[in-house]
Amino acid sequence: MTTVFLVDDHRLFLSGVSAELADSFEVVGQSDDVDTAVDMIRAVRPDVVLVDVHMPGGGGATVVGNVLETHPDVRFLALSVSDAPEDVIAMIRTGARGYVTKSIAPNELKDAINRVAAGEAVFSPSLAGFVLDAFSRSVPVDEDPELDRLTPREKEVLRQIARGYQYKQIARRLNISIKTVETHVSSVLRKLQLSNRHELARWASDRRIV
Amino acid sequence: MLAGVAGGLAESAGLSPIYVRAAFVSLSLAGGVGIILYVVLALVVPDTPDGEPDDISSPATRMQIAGLALMFVALMLILQAVGLWLGAVVWPTTLVVFGLAIAIETSGINYERSLEGVTTGRRSWWLVIGGLGMMVAGLVVVLRSLDRLQSFGVLAIALIVALGGFMIVAGPWLWSLIEDLRTERRARIRSEEKAEVAAHLHDSVLQTLALIQRTDDPKKMVTLARSQERDLRSWLFDENSTDTDSILGALTSAATRVEAAHDVPISVVVVGEASLPSDKQEALISAATEAMMNAAKHSGAAKVSVYAEMANGAIDVYVTDQGAGFDRDSVGEDRRGIRESIEARMQRHGGSTTIESIAGEGTEVQLTMNGATS
Repeated sequence: MTTVFLVDDHRLFLSGVSAELADSFEVVGQSDDVDTAVDMIRAVRPDVVLVDVHMPGGGGATVVGNVLETHPDVRFLALSVSDAPEDVIAMIRTGARGYVTKSIAPNELKDAINRVAAGEAVFSPSLAGFVLDAFSRSVPVDEDPELDRLTPREKEVLRQIARGYQYKQIARRLNISIKTVETHVSSVLRKLQLSNRHELARWASDRRIV
Repeated sequence: MLAGVAGGLAESAGLSPIYVRAAFVSLSLAGGVGIILYVVLALVVPDTPDGEPDDISSPATRMQIAGLALMFVALMLILQAVGLWLGAVVWPTTLVVFGLAIAIETSGINYERSLEGVTTGRRSWWLVIGGLGMMVAGLVVVLRSLDRLQSFGVLAIALIVALGGFMIVAGPWLWSLIEDLRTERRARIRSEEKAEVAAHLHDSVLQTLALIQRTDDPKKMVTLARSQERDLRSWLFDENSTDTDSILGALTSAATRVEAAHDVPISVVVVGEASLPSDKQEALISAATEAMMNAAKHSGAAKVSVYAEMANGAIDVYVTDQGAGFDRDSVGEDRRGIRESIEARMQRHGGSTTIESIAGEGTEVQLTMNGATS
């Protein structure tokens, strides 16, 4: 069974999610603060860590960054009430493999955890929207233009995600295999994590002001 | 405040220490007599054990104060006659110093405390030490040049000395005055902000929580919670999403209304930025609202997605549900929503509509409006 670790400073939320996941996953631990979380995750080495974005003591990004430094095989799925672009982008860029909001339906959350455990990326409709927006605005100034642009196919997949379709439906609608959908999304994740930092950071802060 | 001489004298005379300090400052200008007097007293007068004042005098009467004031003036006059005098600046300075002392005393500011606050900071200690140093240096020069009586130089030095004294006496007070004002302002701003937050929470969150407690229908609860969440979020993070002039704002507010009416969550994602002439925008938003209504009312889907993309002079809005789907031919004539409220409306304003629906899988309504400017 896939092992899951929960990090959230809201205890009520921790116990709720923990109960929700109990029948499909092995919840191997939970923590409500950044430092303890890092130590515990290093000790128990879960398959997937569900991590809240806003926490005292550095927030979820600190947990992700610190753990990945020593244990690059642990996979993170960010879970937050915030839909603010800079939060989403910050989590993804530190190394989270996906981002979903806390209002996600339980079965969709389970689906997302399985996907992250399998090494894929998970984009919520709003994250897909952010990425499309960010990449359509940024003018390539990078030495590596491949990282700064999305292929037409990747864009199409993101559009379908933004319109609320599941991978299975996207595969059928675009006449490709689910595996190909997953490959496109993972490739977008990689571009998101590696492309020109300044552009994305500026985009995120612009979005906040506009 | 240094050796406690002024405080001790003031206590036994029943005066506020600040007047005694002012007197010392003035006497210092009279050829440094004040400093010498202070040092001598500091050495001669025995220390009072802390927290155990040896005798607590009643506050001085008016007569006593007048007597002390006369004695002080007489002493100053004697010093002037003897020649221990720094010239024309002494009397004005004395007036200024006492004026300040009275101002501080009557202003009700705790001078001792604020001075302590100032001198605990390292930089402030340097200020005080610097002020004292200036004073001492000035006096040394004055005493050495007294017999030469070069009036201009003496005057300048006396000014510097007076200024140093002024800094020491009034600096902490001015500082504490500024600090007090700033603290008060901050407190006022904070309390105003708090009141505003409280008012908003009361009107929105508390009302919704009360409603949720009175509801038995779990679906209704979810809708209430969601619409409150959306409202609070837009209030906290993004004031613009409540601006119904923008496409994002208009779609979001339409989604909120439909959501509240039909208890189905609707997510809105918008990519890009563009604006339409107002009639076109109105038509597009109305058509999108109608499509959301249909999805929420008839599809039976657990949620509805709205996705808008603005690029190349056109705006595409997709309203998607994964519900029952429908067959256009079997839709009764009484349901004119699609043909009139969506298709005809879009067409009249130069737009187009594509509806894709598969029974059992869901419906997607695509609305395209040209003529957008970014």
